[in-house]
Amino acid sequence: MKRLVSAVGALAAALLLAACTSGGSGDLVESYTKGDAGGGYISGDGSVVTVAVGDRKPVQAYAGELDTGAGFDSAELEGRVSLLNFWYANCPPCRTEAPDLAELHEQYEADEDVVFLGVNVEDSAPRALGFAREYGIRYPSILDQGDNAVQLAFAGTVAPNAVPTTLVLDREGRVAARFSGIITDPALVSTIIDDTLAEGD
Amino acid sequence: MASRTPSDDGAEQGAAEQGAAAQDPLRPDDHRDARPAAREDVAQPRLGPLGYLRFFWRQLTSMRTALVLLLLMALAAIPGSLVPQNTSDPNGVRQYEIDDPELYKVLDGIQLFDTFGSVWFSAIYLLLFISLIGCIIPRTLHHARALRARPPKTPARLSRLVGYQRATSAADADTAIEEAARLLRRGGYRVERYPVRGGTSVSAERGYLRETGNLVFHAALVGVLLAVGLGQGFGYTGQRVLVQDSTFTNTRAGYDSFNPGRFVDGEGLAPYSLRLDDFTSEYTINPVNGKVQAEDFEVFASVREQGGDWREERIKVNHPLEVGGTQVFLLGNGYAPEITVRDPDGNIVDEGPVVFRPQDANLSGLGVLKVPDGLAEQVGLIGFFYPSPFGEEGGPYTSVYPEAGESSLLTLQVFTGDLGLDDGVARNVYLLDTSEMTAVAGQDSGTAALELKQGERVELPDGLGSVEFTGLKRFVALDIHHDSSQTWVLVFALLAVAGLLTSLFVPRRRLWVTAVPVDAADAGAGSRIEFAGLARGDDPTLERAVEDLAWRHREQLGDPAPEARAEARD
Repeated sequence: MKRLVSAVGALAAALLLAACTSGGSGDLVESYTKGDAGGGYISGDGSVVTVAVGDRKPVQAYAGELDTGAGFDSAELEGRVSLLNFWYANCPPCRTEAPDLAELHEQYEADEDVVFLGVNVEDSAPRALGFAREYGIRYPSILDQGDNAVQLAFAGTVAPNAVPTTLVLDREGRVAARFSGIITDPALVSTIIDDTLAEGD
Repeated sequence: MASRTPSDDGAEQGAAEQGAAAQDPLRPDDHRDARPAAREDVAQPRLGPLGYLRFFWRQLTSMRTALVLLLLMALAAIPGSLVPQNTSDPNGVRQYEIDDPELYKVLDGIQLFDTFGSVWFSAIYLLLFISLIGCIIPRTLHHARALRARPPKTPARLSRLVGYQRATSAADADTAIEEAARLLRRGGYRVERYPVRGGTSVSAERGYLRETGNLVFHAALVGVLLAVGLGQGFGYTGQRVLVQDSTFTNTRAGYDSFNPGRFVDGEGLAPYSLRLDDFTSEYTINPVNGKVQAEDFEVFASVREQGGDWREERIKVNHPLEVGGTQVFLLGNGYAPEITVRDPDGNIVDEGPVVFRPQDANLSGLGVLKVPDGLAEQVGLIGFFYPSPFGEEGGPYTSVYPEAGESSLLTLQVFTGDLGLDDGVARNVYLLDTSEMTAVAGQDSGTAALELKQGERVELPDGLGSVEFTGLKRFVALDIHHDSSQTWVLVFALLAVAGLLTSLFVPRRRLWVTAVPVDAADAGAGSRIEFAGLARGDDPTLERAVEDLAWRHREQLGDPAPEARAEARD
């Protein structure tokens, strides 16, 4: 009984411990102390990591189901540069950056060599679609919360370490750049996409 | 505490520094000579600043100080388990502040909520480190010299020493000593021949392992401290709430909360996924007090690594799952009712399980559902889930048993307005900020809160749409640890024990055998032999060892026994 109560307490604590970390545990405590409790997710610090061609690690194949109901396989990205955005509907930074992503997508929509893809880490199809309608996003999202196939494929070295995270993949599906947290500079994203397109030309 | 005074300290230092010139320079440190009683009439020398520094350094590096510091560290760690710590339980700390702001100020002032990072705790373990290392290094150098040294010269008068025996032998002195040396070597002694007045002798010493063990013990203690300290720096812990049929992946983004060690940046965590397939719980009612008791929890999970297939695993209370160098513990559990939200035209805008955080032992849960898109305006639902509801129609309800069933009840208050998700500021997933919202059902809206049983569908007020309670899933809260230092701590702990046992049970002793020809002028007519030993430190079996040596020596040389031996020898 006592153990159960303490387990319940610990669970409540774990659930309440919804803090925004942008660094070490010191910041976690800091943000908690200040009372600006975060969102029960790890939000990013806005850092950008680019990976030189020689340092890129191959990514294993992955498959999933899109919010449109269609299936998806990572083979579809081969030979093209792709942008993967990890998100979910109730994450405030994801909502903030959504219009920028919609605009970026518009910029590349005509380009056969560039693919935009969302990776939804939390939601059901209806909610994901509602979000896309709300922000005029015209690219599909993989629903990854069931089996995490995409998250596992990218786990390890340059993993999505926050929500949102945006990855730019080269023509071989390897991570060329990672934006942790909100995209603050869409121009930088398109520069990196262009650079990645130009590789090996 | 140490009762040494600066004056005799200087004397010791002097003795140590005389080195080879001293009577017995390689006296092991575990042998303490009796100190002459302090005399009232002796004026102590005045120490200069350097003298005092040296005095304090020697105080700090004494073994006694190390033991006291070790004890102090154990004492200092107690507050860490009495009050909640910022590092492990920030909520507890906040709660403490709310419950008792006055006491909180005081305790926070003395860093009690950060015990293990506090100034005073750090001071203790840093001093302990310095003390141990400052003690080990000189002793090691000293011991290294001792290991290479020859056994000491044979004392002039063996009769004063332990287990003194005399015997006569038919063999001449040289043969007798040769034989004694051979026996001693076979017994693990280091031997050296020295001439003595009128004859020859062998001096033997053994048990260097005792001091080696002692040093290993101390060094291993430092190793344990280092491993624990560094291990925390390289480890991480995190928590994650995981709903049935969904998956957690070990990346930083996969955690609800993440506490990395000092040297962990959250990159390159061991890649694996863990899916919650099922969760079972068993409860009984205590016949004595009528309270509900949890009998058993079991988590059925599937795990896969990159490029691998799912494999089934289980987690039980106190039986964590080990995967990818992490340990996954079950922290808690609860219900996640599946709720479908439709717009007025019947199109689904949201569906899926919603975590209802347990508020009591009977798993009354508090949950929040935010519907930002797809309805006429943003809608927030906040409500309770009662696995076994009890109460008047219309509430208030309580849950009287943690098992869910047909009667399980969901009550929802409905708010419309701004969920606060659109200003980019992080919001707690499990809290609904209603400051910018209007209640349309429940609270002060004038409309009753919605009540649903499983399978029921009710209309939202104001023609917003409808909600349906479609099913019930379980969720678990997992605590995930990575601690790379465990193996090291074990290795060092075993080394410490081995070192300690060695230093306790390996005797350190010296033995001497002298042989003088019976008639000095006529070598070969036989010899008078003397045996004796000297204990270094605590050595209760020394006397027997000397006796043993003498007996074996007689046997080897075929000499008659001086008197019948009472004890049988094995």
